[in-house]
Amino acid sequence: MKNSLKLVLAVVFCMFLAGVAGFANEYILGIGFTIFMYIALAQSWVVLSGLTGYISLGHVVFFGSGAYVFILIWGLVPVWLGVVFSGIVVGLVSLIVGYPVLRVRGPYFVILSFGLAELVKNLVLINEARMYVSMRPVFGAPALYQLYTAMLLLAIIATGLTYWIRRSRFGAGLRSIREDEGAAETIGVPVAKLKLLAFAISGVIPAMVGAIFIMRSGIFQSGDAFTPIVSFTMVTMAIIGGSDDAPGPFLGVIFLVLLQELLWVNWPEVYMIILGILLLGFVLFIPNGIYGWLSEKYFGNKKNVT
Amino acid sequence: MEYMDGSQRNILGIKKMLLEINGIHKKFGGLVALKGINFSVGYGETLGLMGANGAGKTTLFSLIAGHQEPTLGSITFEGQKINRMRPDQISALGVARTYQIVRPFRGLSVLENVTTGALYGAHKIRSIKNASKFSREILEDVKLKDRAEDLAGSLTLAGFKRLELAKALATGPKILLLDEVMAGLTPREVNEAISIIETCKRKYNLTVVVIEHVMKALMRMCERIIVLHHGEMIAEGTPGQISEDSVVIKAYLGEQN
Repeated sequence: MKNSLKLVLAVVFCMFLAGVAGFANEYILGIGFTIFMYIALAQSWVVLSGLTGYISLGHVVFFGSGAYVFILIWGLVPVWLGVVFSGIVVGLVSLIVGYPVLRVRGPYFVILSFGLAELVKNLVLINEARMYVSMRPVFGAPALYQLYTAMLLLAIIATGLTYWIRRSRFGAGLRSIREDEGAAETIGVPVAKLKLLAFAISGVIPAMVGAIFIMRSGIFQSGDAFTPIVSFTMVTMAIIGGSDDAPGPFLGVIFLVLLQELLWVNWPEVYMIILGILLLGFVLFIPNGIYGWLSEKYFGNKKNVT
Repeated sequence: MEYMDGSQRNILGIKKMLLEINGIHKKFGGLVALKGINFSVGYGETLGLMGANGAGKTTLFSLIAGHQEPTLGSITFEGQKINRMRPDQISALGVARTYQIVRPFRGLSVLENVTTGALYGAHKIRSIKNASKFSREILEDVKLKDRAEDLAGSLTLAGFKRLELAKALATGPKILLLDEVMAGLTPREVNEAISIIETCKRKYNLTVVVIEHVMKALMRMCERIIVLHHGEMIAEGTPGQISEDSVVIKAYLGEQN
């Protein structure tokens, strides 16, 4: 009963957010768009990195690839079909790419994931240069309120997906991989298969987010579409919020975006410094993130009892 | 056909074997870890493996569970060759092992540790709810029930050893490979562990292979003991025979003057 109440509240809240699109000004819609974008990204990151412990510092590779696939078919298919198509293509390609990539663990995977994003960025750059294109404008994109609504939808799907996976048999397998891959295999978890699936699932939504993002920015440029800052931002948000369950990234994104707005307006010169200190503080003192900390403190989670 | 002693026999009344180890050699570079190991384990049997450190006992478990491949020879489980399968595939057939150096999922709760075994392994219980229910029952068997919600990392050594056992049991095994589940425990904890293992063996109809340094435990639990020394089998017999075997005494205690 408590759960159904939560669900009703969530639905009402989402409908309110969708309703906002009808009358809000550009500024509000812009902030909403950014928040939803990072919720969708951070939630997707959690499916792979939060649950399996394979920390990806190159998640922008999905974002950028989705954007690139989308711009290549721009104008050839209906806009929203193109968005979905980009997600599917990137998901399928990650099934192939993930196979060798997921064979390395720990710090090596972190470096490899980062390198992979840089590699794809440069491949796209070279390909574009060969076709004598430096940037591709997006003409006739849908209005902001439509992009806002689409991004809201992706954020909801991503959150629901993470929430569901975290509570599923699949999620139990992923979390056991995070704790001890060898021991997981011993009790029958098909680790290679689950990692690959998580990798692909983790890539689909960021690809669609990338496609929608370039409609907002109005331009595709591989340097921007594959910028490591997107990777770093989603990791930071997931870690600050808590990367073991869906409420974590949600809280992390809200916290950081609002903080960013506040600092940016009042103390732009110390903005990055404060952000850096904050991340350090969280990693050192609150490694479970805002959500982990809250659930330990207030919701009587018996964890860490000795 | 099921017999009184729980064993299965073929039409001639010969015991059918659950696990067969045929001519196993294992080399690590120039080091020969196992040399020509041959033995089999019958349904419902409790077999003990003993030997000094480095004798190859744990390596043998790793080969059976699929973590390593034998250099030569074959391993057959219920008539099926398994020495080229992955650990998770072997687990799905009903082979479960525990680790001498415990490997709990420290960041998960004790219950979640066990539930993961029930969700995968040979049981493959699909729903989390049923898997949790089954896991709670197993936690009761190994006397960890009141720690179910605690973080696995917060257990004591005795707790870790029982958790290893619980995870293995949850996979729904036919054979349980126990690697020193009593090492480092107090005499009282050892007695408790023996009774837990014996109860579970009966309740879940298991075949058990134990590696143990605690001699008293081995002697009490096993019907048959195999002694490994420098990768070779030097003796096989009932606990009584083994404790009087001159080759074993020589290998363990040295020559008598």
